[in-house]
Parts: sequence; C-alpha cells; structure tokens
Amino acid sequence: MSLEAPDTPDTDAADEHTPDELAALLGDLVVDRDDHLNAPGFVIRPDTVQETLSVLKEQAGYDHLSVVTAQEYENRYESIYHLKKFDDPTQEVSVVVPADTDDPVSESAEPVFRTADWHEREAYDLMGIEYDDHPDLRRILLPETWQGHPLSMDYDKDRPQIATLPEHANPLEDHHKDAKSDTMFLNIGPHHPATHGVLHLKTTLDGEQVVDVEPDIGYLHRCEEQMAQNGTYRHQIMPYPDRWDYISAGLLNEWAYARAAEDLADIEVPEYAQVIRTMGAEMCRIAAHMLALATFALDVNGDFTATFMYAINDRERVQNLLEDLTGQRLMFNYFRLGGVVWDLPKPREEFFSKTRDFLDQLPGSIEEYHNLVTANEIFQMRTIDTGILPPDVAKDYGATGPVARGSGVDYDLRRDDPYGYYDELDWDVVTEAGCDNYSRLLVRMREVEESAKIIGQCVDLLEDWPEDERTIQANVPRTLRPDDDAEIYRAVEAAKGELGIYMRADGTDKPARFKIRSPCFSNLQTLPEMANGEYIPDVIAALGSLDIVLGEVDR
Amino acid sequence: MGTASVQLFPEFIAETLGLPGVIGEVVAALIAAAVVGNVVLAFTGVAGPWAKRKITAAFTDRIAVNRVGPFGLLIIPASAVQLLAKELIVPEGVDRPTWDLAPIVLPASALLGFSVIPMGRLGPINFHLADPEVGLALVFAFASIASVSLVMAGYASNNKYSMLGGLRAVAQNLAYEIPLIVTAMSVVIFAGTLRMSGIVAAQETVLFSVAGFDIPSWYAFVNPFAFVLFLTANMAEIGRNPFDIPEAPTEIVAGYQTEYSSAYFVLFYLGEFVHVFLGGAIIAVTFLGGAAGPGPESIGFLWFVVKIWGFFLFTQWARSALPRVRIDQLIEIGWKGMLVLSFANLVLTAVIVGVIA
Repeated sequence: MSLEAPDTPDTDAADEHTPDELAALLGDLVVDRDDHLNAPGFVIRPDTVQETLSVLKEQAGYDHLSVVTAQEYENRYESIYHLKKFDDPTQEVSVVVPADTDDPVSESAEPVFRTADWHEREAYDLMGIEYDDHPDLRRILLPETWQGHPLSMDYDKDRPQIATLPEHANPLEDHHKDAKSDTMFLNIGPHHPATHGVLHLKTTLDGEQVVDVEPDIGYLHRCEEQMAQNGTYRHQIMPYPDRWDYISAGLLNEWAYARAAEDLADIEVPEYAQVIRTMGAEMCRIAAHMLALATFALDVNGDFTATFMYAINDRERVQNLLEDLTGQRLMFNYFRLGGVVWDLPKPREEFFSKTRDFLDQLPGSIEEYHNLVTANEIFQMRTIDTGILPPDVAKDYGATGPVARGSGVDYDLRRDDPYGYYDELDWDVVTEAGCDNYSRLLVRMREVEESAKIIGQCVDLLEDWPEDERTIQANVPRTLRPDDDAEIYRAVEAAKGELGIYMRADGTDKPARFKIRSPCFSNLQTLPEMANGEYIPDVIAALGSLDIVLGEVDR
Repeated sequence: MGTASVQLFPEFIAETLGLPGVIGEVVAALIAAAVVGNVVLAFTGVAGPWAKRKITAAFTDRIAVNRVGPFGLLIIPASAVQLLAKELIVPEGVDRPTWDLAPIVLPASALLGFSVIPMGRLGPINFHLADPEVGLALVFAFASIASVSLVMAGYASNNKYSMLGGLRAVAQNLAYEIPLIVTAMSVVIFAGTLRMSGIVAAQETVLFSVAGFDIPSWYAFVNPFAFVLFLTANMAEIGRNPFDIPEAPTEIVAGYQTEYSSAYFVLFYLGEFVHVFLGGAIIAVTFLGGAAGPGPESIGFLWFVVKIWGFFLFTQWARSALPRVRIDQLIEIGWKGMLVLSFANLVLTAVIVGVIA
C-alpha cells in the first residue's frame, strides 16, 4: 500500500470565514445574496460557476460539494451548489446560480468537483437545466427517450411516454478507441446476483479485466422528491424516508427529514426524545451494517456462505428490538417532528434487559466475524489492495460514510455537525487508512461496536430518566407553515453516509422543493475509479463494499 | 485383498447367473455397470436435494427441509418432479448439438471414472467393475473430460457469462490437473503400480502401532503433505470453494450453466455431484486405503461410502466457510505454488523410496 496518508488539514482551510469575508473573497463574482437558514448564499452569474467554486474550494477550503439542487421559480431556474468542508461540515456555503426560464443554461461544476457530474445530470434530467462544459450531459434516472422534465413547471404528465429497448445497439461502437481492440462488452445487471438490486453496470472487459465500467441507474426511481413535495410537513412526509434506504436504516433516514424540518420550522426536540432517537438510530445502523457485512460475504464467498446467515441472525436480534420500539420491522415511521411517536415499550425493564442481552452477545459475534471473515487469508487476499479509493478522489466525488472513512477521511456528521444526543455520549469515529475493500468492511464492523457503545449509554440514561420528565414530543402546531422562501439544507449521518435534505418553503404547508442528497448516489459514482483495471471479481467486491441501496440511489 | 484372488463384479455376475461366453461377459458387464452407476446416482439423488440442504443448513444456523416426510426426505422425489417438470428453455442462437451434448458429457465422464474404482466388498459382491493395468491414469483421463463439457457449455450457450465460465474452467483445469497428477504419481512410486487394486493393496500393511491400535500405511499417513496437496488440487479439479470460479455465482451469474434449465440443468448438477463423489473416490483409493476399515472385509463397501461422503461433507464445509479466490490468484497458486510443491514432493518421494528400497 503506497498511498499517502490523508492530507493533514490545511490551517487556512480550517479557518472559519464570515459571510462578508467570503463575499470579499469572491468579489465581483457575487451578484446578490440569498442566504439560507444553514449557510450564507451567494448568487452568481451562470457563466462563472467554475471560477466561483474554484475560489471557494482552493482559497476558502470548501472541498465538499454535498449536493446540487435544481429548482424552478416562476421567473427563473436555479441551481444551488451546497458546499461544505470535510474538516468542519458546520461551515457551509450555498452558491446559487440562476438560469433563464426560456433557455436554462449554466456552467457545469464538473471540472472543479467530479461529483457534480451525476448531480448535474440529475438536475438536467428532472428539471431541464442544461450545463455547459459538462462531459456527458445525458439523462440519468429516466430513460433516454423520455419527453419533458418531470419536476419543471411546464411538464405535461399526461403525455404518453415510450421507453424503447435499444436491443440491437452495440455500446462498443462509438466509444471504442480502436476498431481492432478485442474487448468485450458485458451487461452486469440490471438483474444480476451481485448488483444488490436493480443496478446496471455497462462493463467493458479485456479478458477478465475491466477496462471501463459505467453504472446505469434509475431502475428504482419512484419520484420520492415529487411525492414529498405533495405531502404536508407535519405528517405526510415522514413515512417516505423509510423507503429510501430500506435496509433497516429507516430511523436514520427519518432523522434526516426530522432534522431539516425541525430546523426549518424552529422546533425544539425534548432531550428525552433525543436520547430515544439516538438509541433507535444506532440500532438501525447496526442492522444496516450487519446486512452490509452479510451481502459483502455473499459477494466474496459465493452463495451458501455461513457468514451471510450469521450476520442475518444478528441483524434479526436488533430487528426484534426495533420492532419492540417502533411496532414495525421495516418501515418504522417512528419519528415525528418534535419527537417520537410513542415512548419505550412497557414493561420498560424488559426492553432494557433485552437490549442489554443483545449488547452483551454482540462482542462475541463480532469476534466470530473476525475469525470467520477478516482473519481469513483468502478473504484478505481478495479484499486488501483491491478497489482502491484514494482519499482525495473520495473527497472529489463527495463520498461519505464508511466509504470515505475507509479511505481515511475523518468525516462523521454525528461528531462534526452534532445533532441528537451524540455530543453528550462517549464514542469514537472509526477510520481506516487502507482505502481498499477490506478497510471499508473493517470500518463497518468497528462502527457496529461504536454503535453498541452508544446504545449502552442511551439505555443507562433512559433507565434513570425521572418519570415526570419523559416528554417524547414537543408542542408542534397541527399545521406547519414555515416562512415563505425559507431555505434549508440539513444532513445527518445515515448508515451509508451523509443523507441530506434541502427544503424550500413557500408559505404553504407543503415544501415547494424537496431535494434528497443520497449518500449512495455519490458513493456509487466512485465505482469506476475503483474498478477500472481490476478483475471482474474485484468490481463485484468493490460494489459490495460501497454498500449501496438502489432505493436510495434512485429515490 | 489380494489382487488376483478377488473376483471383479462382472465376473461375479456372469458366474452367479451362469452366463457363458463373450455374450455372457458383455451382459454381465452391462448389469454390473448399471448397478454401480445406479448406486452412484442414488448417492447424488440423496446428496443434491436433501443432504446438501441439510448440511449447508447445519453450517449456517438454519433448519432446512423438514416438512416433507421424515427428516424432510420426501423432498427428494418432490424436487425431482419439480426440476423435471420445468420448461426447458432453449435460448436463441445456441450452438445446438454442442449445447445439448454438454450436459450429457459431464455426468457421463464422471460416471465412467467409477468403472475402475475398487469400491470394496459388501457380502460376496466386490464393487469393482474393471481393474486395468493403467487404472489410475484412466480415472484421471475420464475425470478431465469434464472440463471439455464445461467448455462446450460455455461456448455453445451464446452468453458472455457462460463464455467467461467456460474459459475460466479451462484455465483452472490446466493449472490444477498437472499438480493433481504429479502428486498422484508420488503415490504410484510408493505403490509401484498404476493398478487401482494394487494401490489399495499396498496400503494394507501396518505403518506403526499406537497403544494396540494398528495404524495402516494409508498414504495420507505415510505422506500427509502429498495428501493435503492432492486434496487441494482435487477441490480445484471439481470446482468447489475456494475454487468454484467457473461457476462463481454473484460474479458471473452461474458461469457455464447460466443458460441451462430443467432437465439439462439437472444433468449438470448431477454431473457435478458425481464428480465430487468421484473426487472422493479417487482420494479414498489413493490416500485413504480404499475400502479398508475396521471390521471384516465384507463390509468394506460401507467404509468406502463413508469416505466419499466424508469428502462430500468436506466440500460443503469449505463452501460454507471459505471465500473464493480470484481467477488470477487461482492460476498463480496453481502454476507457481502447487506445481512446484507437487514436483518437490515427487522428487522427494522418489529419492526416499529409492534410498529405502
């Protein structure tokens, strides 16, 4: 392993800039101010995107393009670049790029942040904004033949759509360097045992080696953003997040919406509810990571592997606890704005002892996994030094969560941008410097132990909580109408990384724009970086180590 | 078990039924082959739908088939009906005669291998069809036809995954057949013969005694190093974890058998299981004293069955516990590791045998 250790934080970059300092730094680039609740916002001209973002990235240290939000107003289109710092995600800035209604063109940010590639393609696909200088501006979620842009105002939803199957297309024809090359084109998926759902990898092989892989997503696109925009803040949106990362990460997803909406409507959550949320969320994280371990073993060992069933058994135990807590096993719908829907199950002692039993047997299980999986020489041979993702590349692609932490990027929103009860508890952020498939797995396994620590502390707290102070829900108006034109972007550390939500209020009880920043979407984008030049089995392993959920990638 | 004194199975039938002459020999041989073939197929029938499920379940904390009949045993006919009743889907563009022949060649080659395996005695019957001079060479020859079938299937399926599986099968078999045979040659040096019954007979002497127990001179005890080498190469030869890469589910879907369904699929599975049993039989004969075991010689067949099922169990254990190596690593292990080790073993054995004898 010859990769350098991750860069030590640049002192300049870590410095906090006041909005005015930033404005001074950008100088003439700033046309106007459009501050959001979470960050100062600078309006710039559509042809200065690259310049602005370069300045912010290189001179102010905003090295994390979290998400690109596109939206349409009556008189303009708008792309918002939500920037953060990996060293301190509480320092945020929004770059707002208006574009003309009749001819929505704006400069692409792709040369500055690689991650903008997919985000801008999505913006083009759903909203219709075109990005100049984008390397590959095609639809990403919808079929190539789709007519219109579904989130734009003039979209005709009654128009019949025809999605043709280009059966005889030869994908090698146009993008092949040399007519005599003896490469082979292989469709991995959308139905393939290792794609973890309906993912299509357009793969070009040279023998067994991968020359090029292009993920083709959108098979599970369910208009989640559109649906959320049609729901009221108070109750109708909360069930949807469960359906993004549906691999039992439900409470973590719900927290993303809860956090954004609570900050938007200025709701304080009672401390008791925060502890319950923290405990439930960490249970979800264990369940999600157990499934990641199980399926990764499936990818590397082949079917009929014992590890899969062992990990599923452990997940089952935590799933039972979640069922006791929320009444549901998959789609929890347990959080409410301002709290949770109900208190711990009665008798409380029984729930606590069950939880403690789980926590007590967990170290034994983890040790077994280490014996069975990580200590196995063949497993190490397969995963160490394969699927390399250097830290700077990970950052460039906006990779977060265990994928980034497996590349030594010390970034965890639970610690860096605290919410819930995390900053009161004693736990550590796990990083591994290996940058390979093995490190990513190791990060998840060690995070399970950290989550168990958190749950243990939460149980202690909840057990001693005075009976008359057990408030599970703050006072929240029956109908929420956040201020007109209030905009917010808030993220939480979900099982797969930074799950963020952007919302714009328009004075009604429904959000005017609801944008989901899916960690899997950004993480999946790194796959070609890891896969090119490797063997097919390594691509499968790399994909498994990314731990994507297509429900969250496609939304 | 002296070589000359024991009657082979066809001879026994010819004598018992009183079949004279050449025609009698042919008829007796056919009957004997049918019996042995059916015994092996019966093993497969138990192993595929039932034993494998039960064993894997035991390894992975599950229960598996337990609803149909006692211990779920009736799942065997149920599965058989289910598998055969499925539609045989013939994909467009397959290379017809080859595509149809591949699923027949695989089980046939493995079954052929059993023709020279001395499976021991059960009462008066000696389950041994033929005992040619070159028995061991013959059994390897039969067993390696299997890879031809995999290539046929991979090539004829008109599917890229199948193609990759077929190519992997060739690469793997080339890399492992040689260490396998070279290691087997060290056994031949010990035994001084290629004749299967001779190899078994050579393992009958007592190696040493521990607390009154006689440890026989099975080659697994005489040369454990060769045994481990042979076992490993054999796992690769039959394509089981950690060397199941011609199939590699989750990577190349199901490799060469991706496009096969219904009866053809059953034939492939059958072939694989028979191949596993043949692998077990070869190991039993060359390293585990053939049908030898405690008790009278007349129950030797039962010991032989125990040995090959033991090997089957071992393959399932490996499958549940071990990750799969990558194709390039597999080739590297084969050519750079196993080959060198097997030649070292061969030379060492030759020197030791030469010095002692």
